[in-house]
Amino acid sequence: MPRDSKYFSSSKKGEVAEWRQDLKTSDKVLLKTTVKRIIAAMTVGKDVCPLFLDVINCMQTEDIELKKLIYLYAINYARSNPDIAILAVNTFVKDSQDPNPFIRALAVRTMGCIRVDKIVEYLCDPLNLALRDPDPYVRKTAAICVAKLHSINSELVVDRGFLQQLKYLSVDENPMVVANSISALVEIQNGESSEIIDSQCLSAVIASLDVCTEWGQVAILNCLAAYKCVDGSEAKKVIECALPKLQHANYAVVLACIRLIINHLQVERSDELLKRIVPPMVTMLNAEAEIQYVALSSIEDIMNQFPSIFHETYKAFFCKYDDPAYVKYKKLDILVKVTNEGNVADILVELREYSGEVDIEFSRKAIRSIGACALSVPAFSQTCVDALLIIIDTRVNYAVQESIVVLKDIFRCYPGKYESVVTPLCRSLECLDDPDAKSSLIYILGEYAGRIDSTLDLLQTFVDTIQDEPTSVQLQLLTSTVKFFLKCPSQQAKTLVQKILKFATTDSEHPDLRDRAYVYWRLLSHDTDTAANVVTANIPLPS
Amino acid sequence: MGVFFSRLFSYFGDREARILVLGLDNAGKTTILYRLQVGTVVSTIPTIGFNVETVTHKNVKFQVWDLGGQTSLRPYWRCYYPNTQAIIYVVDSSDVERVGTSSEEFHAILEEEELKDAILLVYANKQDLPGALTDAEITEQLGLSSIKNRTWAIFKCSALEGKGLFEGLDWLADACAAKRV
Repeated sequence: MPRDSKYFSSSKKGEVAEWRQDLKTSDKVLLKTTVKRIIAAMTVGKDVCPLFLDVINCMQTEDIELKKLIYLYAINYARSNPDIAILAVNTFVKDSQDPNPFIRALAVRTMGCIRVDKIVEYLCDPLNLALRDPDPYVRKTAAICVAKLHSINSELVVDRGFLQQLKYLSVDENPMVVANSISALVEIQNGESSEIIDSQCLSAVIASLDVCTEWGQVAILNCLAAYKCVDGSEAKKVIECALPKLQHANYAVVLACIRLIINHLQVERSDELLKRIVPPMVTMLNAEAEIQYVALSSIEDIMNQFPSIFHETYKAFFCKYDDPAYVKYKKLDILVKVTNEGNVADILVELREYSGEVDIEFSRKAIRSIGACALSVPAFSQTCVDALLIIIDTRVNYAVQESIVVLKDIFRCYPGKYESVVTPLCRSLECLDDPDAKSSLIYILGEYAGRIDSTLDLLQTFVDTIQDEPTSVQLQLLTSTVKFFLKCPSQQAKTLVQKILKFATTDSEHPDLRDRAYVYWRLLSHDTDTAANVVTANIPLPS
Repeated sequence: MGVFFSRLFSYFGDREARILVLGLDNAGKTTILYRLQVGTVVSTIPTIGFNVETVTHKNVKFQVWDLGGQTSLRPYWRCYYPNTQAIIYVVDSSDVERVGTSSEEFHAILEEEELKDAILLVYANKQDLPGALTDAEITEQLGLSSIKNRTWAIFKCSALEGKGLFEGLDWLADACAAKRV
């Protein structure tokens, strides 16, 4: 074994040692090539950290390209060498007073990126100078640097008055500086964009909107959205600056514009302006699924405020076969909200299509949506009920059950209108296993007690097996049996009521069921008319 | 082999001597460096790190490294010791209280194996200030007379007034040239 130890010791010093030697050269070309090699090695993940001091020692150079490369290296490795990194401070401080504005900005930016606590305190003085620099490029870099400093050491930013400086910069003559200082302020306030813009800097900010980067635009638009306009004409001015950006390729910008427009429409209402936010929102539904979801959620929010603006574009909310589930569910929610008399027929065809999907959860949701359509557009409730009956005819278990739950609500909403449907419903009784569906059917039995021939038999069957049912079904069965007895009094019904009351008061352990049974019992033994008034009273319509 | 020869050649070819400027904080190292390089007094702040400049004097090119002298930075001096031909040690002659500390740092440098061949130039700086120790007193305090087997010299100077600096540099250029031959 000892013989093999030779494999671990190598006479070759390796490239790091060679580079260390080359970094000491006075040959400028060799020096630059070496630094480039080191950066290349760094990029592909080789550890060139041991060269830190040697690289830092080459920092003081006239050559901007070399300086940039070394700064890049410093950003990467300063955190793994926090102690030696302090040796670079003097160079940064020196460069931040260089006659060349690019070098000044570069020094300040790099210092901000290094994020080593020990260095941060030395950053403040150069940063302070940079914030008042005559050159806008340096000022705009310094503005962002304040935000970086804030994330490393927020107290320092406050103590040194950098926030106030940023406020001054937000009315700077140069739009890039304005944009960056606004972005920095938003960043510092943790995304909270209110009270950053006041009426004094409004025009400067609007002017900077077109020249800054798209993410800067998002920050500015959000601040403008949070700005409280003093009057309608100001609101109009703010809205107008956002309108051209509705076609922006970056959806974050588009959404920020839409937020701005909606906020300011509170002051200056205009249907014509409101309509302009619809096409860009609909366009977003062709983007990636994640963006679609964001767009759909935003559309839902907007519809809470402006319920009817998306009615005409209902087709955009039809589900595509390859939409992910979360997008499909959101689309269904919205489809229900955009129904009106003009489009409900199309939407119903689509929903029926969905009810046969393989995704059971989706299919159930589609059936529920059909019910919701019936409730929201009374003129088409018949069409909806027909659609549901077709679904029940398919005898697909979960679809039938969901349809019954939905039909129950329709019955409640349109009392007395769909009694003919009740009989076919009862036929599907044997396939019910879902408690919701069961309770719904039992509710219908109680409600239409007089009109269904076999009610007594059906209730009888349920009461016989009551101990096996979940509490929700037991409660509904109790109420429906009592209702039935009050509506169609007979000896058999009386026996049934007594049987269920006895079960509920003596055999059940559920307090709600027991209490309800006692209430019924007292009512019934007191006076059946009063009982009828209480038990079969009309309940409010579902909303 | 080719690389080896070219390195060897460049080592002797360009006569650039590597010099370290050391000393306690506020001794005037950075002021001396820029006085030597650009010939004027620049306003300085404490050096957190280093300055490096090339100074040409009497046809000898010096690559002068001015290292920060604060207590926390002194441990990093040793990173710069390899391949150093000369040390310029700057003493603040007016800071009588810390001459002792300065002497300790100086002797620590003398002990360094990597600097055993380095030429020593001591500047007794800030002679313009009242109450400044003379060069003889600094020699005494630093125990320079007891140094054997090394090339050393002490010069009194004032970086602010520009006196005495170039005399020291003259000596250094000659000493470096003498060593090369």
